[in-house]
Amino acid sequence: MEAEKKKETLTQAIKKDSSYYLMILPALIFTLIFCYIPMLGIAMSFKDYDFVKGFWNSEWVGMKHFIEIFHIPMLQKAVLNTVYLNLLSLVICFTLPIVFALLINEVKNGIYKKTLQTVSYLPHFLSWISVVAMAYSIYAIDGPINHLRAVLFGIPWEERTMYMSLQSFFVPNYIFLSAWKEMGWDSIIYIAAISGIDQQLYEAARIDGASKLKQAWYITLPGIAPTIVILLILKFGSMFASNFELVYGMQNAYVEYDVISTLVYKNGIRDGQYSLATAINLFQSLISLALIFIANKISDKVNNVSLW
Amino acid sequence: MNEFKMESKQYKVFYVFNIILLTAIGIVFLFPYLNIMAKAFNESADTALGGITIYPRKFTLENIRVVLIDPSIIRAFVISVLRVLIGTVIAVMIQFLAAYGLVKKGLRGKKGIIMFLMIPMFISGGIVPNYILYSKIGMLNNFMVYILPTAFSFYNMVVIRTYLTTIPESLKEAGRIDGAGELRIMWEIVVPLSLPIIATIALWTSVGYWNDWTTTLYYITNKKWYSLQYLLYSVIQESERIQSLMRDAIESGRDVTKIRVQTSPESLRAAQVVVTTLPILVAYPFLQKYFIKGIMIGSVKE
Repeated sequence: MEAEKKKETLTQAIKKDSSYYLMILPALIFTLIFCYIPMLGIAMSFKDYDFVKGFWNSEWVGMKHFIEIFHIPMLQKAVLNTVYLNLLSLVICFTLPIVFALLINEVKNGIYKKTLQTVSYLPHFLSWISVVAMAYSIYAIDGPINHLRAVLFGIPWEERTMYMSLQSFFVPNYIFLSAWKEMGWDSIIYIAAISGIDQQLYEAARIDGASKLKQAWYITLPGIAPTIVILLILKFGSMFASNFELVYGMQNAYVEYDVISTLVYKNGIRDGQYSLATAINLFQSLISLALIFIANKISDKVNNVSLW
Repeated sequence: MNEFKMESKQYKVFYVFNIILLTAIGIVFLFPYLNIMAKAFNESADTALGGITIYPRKFTLENIRVVLIDPSIIRAFVISVLRVLIGTVIAVMIQFLAAYGLVKKGLRGKKGIIMFLMIPMFISGGIVPNYILYSKIGMLNNFMVYILPTAFSFYNMVVIRTYLTTIPESLKEAGRIDGAGELRIMWEIVVPLSLPIIATIALWTSVGYWNDWTTTLYYITNKKWYSLQYLLYSVIQESERIQSLMRDAIESGRDVTKIRVQTSPESLRAAQVVVTTLPILVAYPFLQKYFIKGIMIGSVKE
C-alpha cells in the first residue's frame, strides 16, 4: 500500500514537472552519447581492439597493454617530460602572475595601469596555434631576433638560427610561450584578491611607519595567500596533464619532444594502436584523478578550503 | 601625490624601476603582434631581407589580398564562422535549458541528474574511444563533429544556474498566475533578465570554437572541412619545412638567393595569422569585459 502510494506520487511528480524534465533532457542525451558511451570504450584497453571485428568481438587480453606500457621507452620518456614541463611551469608560470599582480598593484597612474592590463590579457584570447605561428615569425631567419643578432654581433646570414627547430630551445620556448599567453590573464584573480584586502590594515601600517615595500610583504602577500594556495592545489592536480596544443603545435621535423597526450594521439589515432593508446590514456586519467583527490584532501586539512 | 613625496627614497627608486620593468613587459606582450602585422603589410620579397620590426618598410595590401582570395582559406573561414554561429546557439540553448530545469525547487531526482552530468568532468574515455564512436556514427569528416560533442558543458551550465538562482521566484509566480506556461515564463520573463549571463557564455563558447584546431586534427582528414585555425597549423608546418630545406641547401653550399626570394613564406604566413586572429581582436573589448565577469562568477563557490 505504502509503496503504491509512493509510486503514484512519483509519476505525479514527473507529470507535474514534465516541462522541467524535458528541458534537461537534451543535456542528458548529449552527455550519455558523447561522454558515457566513450567511457565504455575504456574497456578497449583490456582488449586487442580490431577495427574490422568491432568492439564486442575483439579479444580480451587482460592487463597486456598495461604491462606493455611500462616497457615502452618512449612512454617513460613522455611521462618524465610531462612531469618536468609541469614542474618548470609550476616554478615559473605559476609565480610570474603573482609577481606581476604585486608590481601592477604599486602603479598609481590609473590609465597606465589599465592599458598595461589590457595589453597583458590580449594573448589569452588568441589560439595556441597562432601563438606558435607568431613564435615562428619572431624566430624566423628573416625575423627580428636574428636581425638583432646581426646588428649587435654582426653574424652573417648563414649563421642565422631557426630557434624553433633547435631541440635545446624546445623547453625554454614552451615555458616562455606559456608565460606569455597566460601571465596577464592569470594575474586577474590575484589583482581581484588584492583589491579585496581591508584598507584599514594599510592605514594602520602607515601610522606605524611601515614602508610601502613592507606593506606589500606583510599585508598584501598574506592577504592573497589563500588564493595562491587554492590555485597551487589545482595546479598540483594537473601535474600529469599537459598542454597538447602547444607541445604538438611546436613539434616539427627537427624537434622531438613528446608528452603523454601527444603520444596517445600519435599511437592511437595516427598509427591505429587503439587499445594501447586507450590504456595509456586511462593510466594518465587515473593518476590525474588520484592527484586531484589528494590535493583536495590536503587543502581541506590545511586551509579548510575544499574544491567540493 | 603628497603621500608619494613622503615615501622613502628607497621606495621612489623602486617605483621608477617598477614602471620601467612593467613597460618592458608590456612591450614584450605587444611586440610579436606588431611584428606580425608589419610583416603582413610589407612586400613579401622585402620581408625576406630581414629587419622588419613594428612597421612595414614597403607597404602593400597584396599579402592580405592573396590570403583573402585563396579558395581553401575562404572555405575554412566559412566553416569556422558557421561553427561559431551554429555551435554557439545550440550550446547556449542546451546549457540554458538544463540550468533552468535544474533551478526548479523540489524537482525529483535532481541530485542524481546533477551527479550524472558531473561525473564526465572527472573521468572520460579519452580521444581514442571518441574517435571510434565518431567513426561508427558517421561523424568523422562531418561538420557535426564541430558542434555536437561540445554542445553541453557542465561547468557553463553551473555558471548559468548560479545566475538563475538570483532571479526572484515571485517574478515567475506572477507569470504563472496569469496562466502562462513554463516555456513562456522562461522566454518572456527569465531570458530577458538573463541576457548578461547568456552573452558571457556565448562569448566563451564562441572564442573556444573559433580558436579550436585539435578537433580538426583528430577527426577531420577531408580538406573540405578544415577549420581556419587548422589551416594555420598546416601552413606553419609547410613553411617550416621549406625553411628547413633551404637551411640544408645553404649548409651544403648551394646558392639559394633565388629560391629564397621566391619562396619566402614569411609575409604570407603573417597575413594568414592576421586574418585568423582578426575576429578576436575586433571583439576584444567585449571579450575582456565579459570574460572577467565570468572569472568572478566562476570563482564563487556554490
